[in-house]
This record gives sequence, structure tokens and C-alpha cells, in this order.
Amino acid sequence: MQAFLKIVGISARQQMTYRTALVAGLFTNLFFGILRASLLIALYQGETSVNGMDVGGAITYVALSQAMIAYLTIFGNTEMGRTVSDGSIASDLIKPVHFILLWLGRDLGRSLVNFVVRGLFFIGLFSLFYSLYYPLEIGRWFLFFVSLIFSWLLNFFWRMLVNLGAFWSPDIQGFARLAFGFSQLFSGFVLPLRLLPDWFSRLSNWTPFPGMMNHPMEVYLGIYSPSQLLGAFGHQLIWLFILVFLCLALFRLGIRRLVIQGG
Amino acid sequence: MIYSIKILWLLLKTQIRSQTQYRLSFLADVFTTAIFSSIYFLAFALILQRFETVAGWTLGEIAFLVGMTETSFAFMDLLFSGFDPDSFSPMVRMGSLDQFMVRPVSLTIQVLGSRLILRRMGRVLEGLAVLAFGIVTTQPDWTWLKTFYLPVVLVCQVICMGSIFMMGSTITFWTVERIEAVNILTYGGNELMSYPMNIYPRWLLFIFTYFVPFIFVNFYPTLYFLDKPDPLNFPVFAPFLTPLVAIGMALAAYWFWGYGLRHYQSTGT
Repeated sequence: MQAFLKIVGISARQQMTYRTALVAGLFTNLFFGILRASLLIALYQGETSVNGMDVGGAITYVALSQAMIAYLTIFGNTEMGRTVSDGSIASDLIKPVHFILLWLGRDLGRSLVNFVVRGLFFIGLFSLFYSLYYPLEIGRWFLFFVSLIFSWLLNFFWRMLVNLGAFWSPDIQGFARLAFGFSQLFSGFVLPLRLLPDWFSRLSNWTPFPGMMNHPMEVYLGIYSPSQLLGAFGHQLIWLFILVFLCLALFRLGIRRLVIQGG
Repeated sequence: MIYSIKILWLLLKTQIRSQTQYRLSFLADVFTTAIFSSIYFLAFALILQRFETVAGWTLGEIAFLVGMTETSFAFMDLLFSGFDPDSFSPMVRMGSLDQFMVRPVSLTIQVLGSRLILRRMGRVLEGLAVLAFGIVTTQPDWTWLKTFYLPVVLVCQVICMGSIFMMGSTITFWTVERIEAVNILTYGGNELMSYPMNIYPRWLLFIFTYFVPFIFVNFYPTLYFLDKPDPLNFPVFAPFLTPLVAIGMALAAYWFWGYGLRHYQSTGT
């Protein structure tokens, strides 16, 4: 446990070092956020509410999803996969922490920094341009944060699953790009799932992806009825179990195939 | 000049050959790039099933806008791979640019020839497919002038976005690290030009009309091609400013690149 916390701390400090990169990322997110908000406002034009979401809700959705890009690493990365291809995984495997837990710690440290700098600061800046909704009940904030933790875990294990492919293929870049593209679309990051056709959101509910973005956003907006709320959390939990199981199983299989070239 | 072009072709040919060695893997890469790039347009097509139009534009008309900028951005991204700040900044950091400088060939040619990411062909194909969809569904009234002007606009767009890439790379002479904020103008510019620009806040429109005149690069030409009324009441020649903007941006990039080179100090690695 102590080792794990140490990893989190080191990774957070590492992320803090690149301050200009953090600020540049913040402004890039802000620019794209304004473009996305303008598009939704133009789409709503005159309509008060579409499928249970009004313009203000849609703008808040855009704000939150832009704020969570860095925290959730929604665009994905192939950092771990690269350690398999270049052999540096060897030094990670001899560390006294389970390999997946090691990466969880690294990701967590980085995400915590990003949550504050590119998340909270982003909301602060974005609210200068648009008025956002803030829930008034404590309970909803609590549910939102729980859902946000689950969505972080789902994102992490999805990314891990894609990266584990590196044990089988020397180059996973193309495959990973496609995989992360699909998760962006089906998670409701590209556009809120509620505003897409019903058949599409029904389809996406058969995948783990809505739990990575759409659920926490709609919990925040308070659109879900109590039974839907239960369904959303159930969906996140079930998929979390499945993804964790798949990652552990694939890791055990993959590690047996791993050959590290000396040198 | 002819010598330079020969060298460039030779450099690019080696890139093409090395990247197409594993044919199946290469084709798969092109294909996945095409699919990945179409995700945003696909999502937009889906959301229009609920809203039908955006600011008076139908799906086909938006497809025209998206298709134009996607095609030229992707083609620029392919052609200017060497100037991509992502790959240019390591060249400055590791000092491989110094090696280029001692060779008796123009530096610009060498940087252009240093990288050609062929899988980006996939995005060009995706852009062309979206543009074709836009043309077929909107059935523009093709006059001679329009038919002649369409390829001109596409070439101008490539030049405009390529200039931004070059300027973004030039900045790394001073900063060494790539500046992520340049993405606002490259990837962001592409996104910005994908929708009718009158939907944006006034201050943003002001910036992209008078400082970085992206508004004349895709939005106004498209208004002209599709015979749509101008919501912003610009003079009638506004759609024909594209070549001027392209020349202006190219000159600015050329000057800035030269200025950067004269002030270049190696990192010493």
C-alpha cells in the first residue's frame, strides 16, 4: 500500500513539472469547448428541451466533458504498450507491486493533478463564457463523485485492455487509435448520447463506454429517475468487474509469451 | 529548382517504399485511419436526426463544408508531415536539424522529405468521400467559374494550413518543446471551419476574420458554391478572397521560417 501511494505521489509530481504543458492543454480544451458549445447552441435554436435535456444542460455537459478529458485520458494512450515493445517493461515487472496496480498508481497521480488543473480550473474559465448548472443537493454531488470514480476506473481498465494487446502484436498503434475512437463516440464524449437517435444510445448501453462519460454527466445534471440511476451504477459496476477480469486474465496469458531481448 | 524537386521526390520515394513494405499492414492502417477520422462527422449526422438542421444548414451542406476542410487538412497533414510540430520539435531537441544544415540542399526540402506519414491517406479518402456525399446531396448549380474555383480553393486551403504548421514549427527554434497551443490553429482551425461560422461568438469571429482570416478559407467559398445567402453581410467579393489569404499566410510563414533559421541556435546535442 505504501509503495502504491509512493507511485501516486511521484507520478503527480512528474505531471506538475510540465506547467506550461498543463496551461497550454487547458487553453486548447477551452477553445474546443467553445466550438462544441457554439455548435450545440446553434442546434437547439428555439427548441427548449430535446429528449429531456435543455440548452443549459447541453452546455453544462460540454463543459464537464471537456474538463474531464485529461482526468479520464479520454483520447487514450499506448504508454504501457510501448514498454512491451521496447522492453522497458522488464524493470516494471521486478517491482514489488502488481504490474496493473503499478500502472493504476501512475495513472492516478497524473489524473489527480489533471482533475484540479485541467478540470476545476477549466470549469472556472469556462463559466466566464457560459452560465453552467450547479446541483443544489449535496446528495447529487455525492452520487456524481462516486460515478466519476467509477468512470475513471472504467477508463483505466479499458486503456489497459487495449494496451495488453501489445503482448500479441508488435505494433498496436492503429488498433489502439480505432479502439479509442470508438470509446469516444459510444461514451457520449463526441456528443451527448441523449441527443443521438434512441437506437444508438440503446446500442451503446450494451458496451462499457457510456459508463466512462455519459453516466456521470447525466447524474450531475439530474436527468435520471431513481430507477435509471440504479441502472447506471449497476451498468458501471458490472462492466468494471468484466474489464478487471479480462485485464487480469490477458495479463497472465500475455506475460507467458513475453520475451525481452537483452542488450 | 529542378534539382531540389528531384531530391524531394527521391526522399519521398524512399519514405513511400519503406512504409509500403508490409502491404497488408499498410492497407489496414490506411483503412483504420479513414474509419477513425469519420467518427466526428458520423456523430454529427446522427445528432441531425433529432435536430434536422443547424443554423439553416442541412446535412448535405455541412458535408460540403466538412468534406472540403477535411480533404485539404488531411492532404496538408500528409504533405507537411515533416513540419508537424510533433516530429519537428524532436529534430530541434536532438540536433538532427544541424545535420541537415551542412548538406548542400535547401533545408525546407529536406524537412519536407524527412517524413511522410502515408497512412494519413486514409483521412484524405474520408474527406473526399464526405465531400462527394455533400456534392451529390446538395446538387450545386455548377457554372464554369465554380468548377474552376473549387480546386483553387482546395489548394489554397492546403497552403493556409501548411503555413500554420510551418509557423508552429518555427516557434520551436526558441522554445525547443512543441507548443500545444498551436493545435488550436491547426486541428482547431479544421474543426472551426467544419461548421457554418456564424454560429460562433462575435469575438471569436472577429479574431478569425481579421487576425487569422479562416472565415474566407472555407465558409465564404462554400456559401458561393452552394448559392447560400450570406448571414454576415460581407461584400460580394468575400468568397474570392481565399487565394489572397493563402498568399498572405504563405508569405508570412516563409518570412518567419527564414527569420527563425537565421536566429537558430543548436541545443548542442
